[in-house]
Amino acid sequence: MTTQILAVVIFVLMFLLIMTEKIERHIVTLLCGLATVTVVFGICMHSAKAVIATLNLRGIFTTAFWYAPGASEEASVGINWATIIFIAGMMIMVEGMAKAGFFRWLCITLAKAVRYKTIPLFIAFMLMSAVLAMFIDSITVILFLAAVTVELAGMLRFDPVPMIMSEIFCANLGGSATMCGDPPNIIVGTSLGYSFADFITHTGVIAGLSMIFVVLYFFLCFRKQLTSPVDDKAAPEAFPSPSEAITDKRGFIVSSGIFIIAIVLLVTHAMTGLTVAFIGLFIAAITLIAAGRDALKLLKKLDYKTLLFFIGLFVVVGGLEQTGILELAADFIGRVSGGNIYLMVAIIVWVSGIASAFVDNIPFAATMIPIIRSLATIPGVNLEVLAWSLSMGTDVGGSATPIGASANVVGTSVAAKAGHPIGWGRYCRYMFPATVIVMVISMLFIWFQYI
Amino acid sequence: MDQQLIISIGREFGSGGHEVAELLARRFDIPLYDNNLLHEIATHKNVNVNNLKKYDERPRNFLFSRSVQGYSNSPEENIARIQFDYLRRKADDGESFVIVGRCAEEILSGYGCMVSVFILGDLPKKLERVSQKYGVTPSEARGMLLLNDKKRKVYHNYYCKGKWGDSRNYELSINSSRIGVEKTADLIAAYISEKYGREL
Repeated sequence: MTTQILAVVIFVLMFLLIMTEKIERHIVTLLCGLATVTVVFGICMHSAKAVIATLNLRGIFTTAFWYAPGASEEASVGINWATIIFIAGMMIMVEGMAKAGFFRWLCITLAKAVRYKTIPLFIAFMLMSAVLAMFIDSITVILFLAAVTVELAGMLRFDPVPMIMSEIFCANLGGSATMCGDPPNIIVGTSLGYSFADFITHTGVIAGLSMIFVVLYFFLCFRKQLTSPVDDKAAPEAFPSPSEAITDKRGFIVSSGIFIIAIVLLVTHAMTGLTVAFIGLFIAAITLIAAGRDALKLLKKLDYKTLLFFIGLFVVVGGLEQTGILELAADFIGRVSGGNIYLMVAIIVWVSGIASAFVDNIPFAATMIPIIRSLATIPGVNLEVLAWSLSMGTDVGGSATPIGASANVVGTSVAAKAGHPIGWGRYCRYMFPATVIVMVISMLFIWFQYI
Repeated sequence: MDQQLIISIGREFGSGGHEVAELLARRFDIPLYDNNLLHEIATHKNVNVNNLKKYDERPRNFLFSRSVQGYSNSPEENIARIQFDYLRRKADDGESFVIVGRCAEEILSGYGCMVSVFILGDLPKKLERVSQKYGVTPSEARGMLLLNDKKRKVYHNYYCKGKWGDSRNYELSINSSRIGVEKTADLIAAYISEKYGREL
């Protein structure tokens, strides 16, 4: 009992410290992880087995960690090294693309393709945001998209806030469509052994369907706000040229090629047997080789703090798992729902969504995975159904508030720095209903399609 | 004006710090920046200043804000940082000015041409000044005083290592109630002249 209480205290303390932002979040999770290992596993449980299971290092040295033909990847517990390696690889690739000017080039090319007309631009940027976020982290997508939106808004004389909010929402929705789109999905996929194809054929379909409603919703909300009251747009020659966005032509071609290779490897990984850990490592390796002398610069820009944050987080959640707390939580959900799968799906979608609107969805998803795994032992409860419910809830719920997801924070920050601060009132007035719409669609789709 | 001069004025609400700043700006014939800094920023960015003003010199709401990789959703924090950057740019461009609040004593601490001052006051004098200036009762004035000083303190202490009003963070800390606003300005001007050999 004391062990369980201590594990919960460390977990709650970690959450509170992350929220206060007094200490950097990677330091918080690492210290809490250290406390879990020494106090919970060491002093209370005297269990070297729990430490070994949570550190989960042995798995890295097995062939199945890198290559698992004919089967889904092995489900993992404790530190999810596959997630960490994959995210690190994608970070290096994205850094290479950004350095060459890929994202700015893409934004300006698209703007030019729609002839700098506000409404077509608004729809095109929403779609691009969703598509890019399927493969690239939403922070990078929004960082570039919002910056170009602000720039074009100044030239086309429209308020950039509606467009940035729509882009944020679509980035979060696009991220829910694939295994690599949003960190919770990578964690769900690697922890429960699902492939890219599993995600795209389930959450991808839900996200695609939702996208139709979302584009329509934002169009109806913002069409008037996006129309300029005065016709004093900049002259066509004043608009930025796509070619000017490319800072390094060779780097641009190489990084675009690597991006295509990454997409192909991800889409086919269930067929090739290459795991996401392998893909992450491979993509990082070819990006660094192609960078040549600049490889060290790329490595230095690697967001190691996020990777350390993940490591600490997985250890703390491992503490809850090893002490049986998460099984108790699963029992509770099982009892509340009375074993009714409809109710269980509704609980997971809405609890995940509401929680993700206020707290970081990554620790939440990591905590929920052992819970849904445990719930799936109830007869008639399919793990896949719960996994898609968790993914949609955590990925989409974060859009509801300005603090719910990383893309929201970055997007609102870019807007504010350009002189367009977005308060909670304005943000939630439009984004909260959109979130509810997608969560209702997700719940109904899962109910009628899978149960 | 040949030599660059930046005067940063921190102040308690009701201490007359703003008036001291106005007098110094006139004395040295340099611009005064307070919330008019936002007007300049708004003009530069071609945005409505009222959208920025409501977040000026206000503390970040910890419950409703979050940071990711150096980006924050807090409008208050973003507006503050825009102003800090703008001030640094002005200082880099060699401009002389008087700046009221905005954590300037720390934001511009690397500039040798800066003199940082904190103006405080005795409570009865501050209450009297606030009552007269805003046409409110002494008890309302006390409420305004407490609220504004608390806001300034929280705002300042979030962005700065040094604490708001702590004399160790300023070159001069002067109680304006003792010698009056004008003489306080005289005293600061005399200090600046002594320090830089500048003609008054």
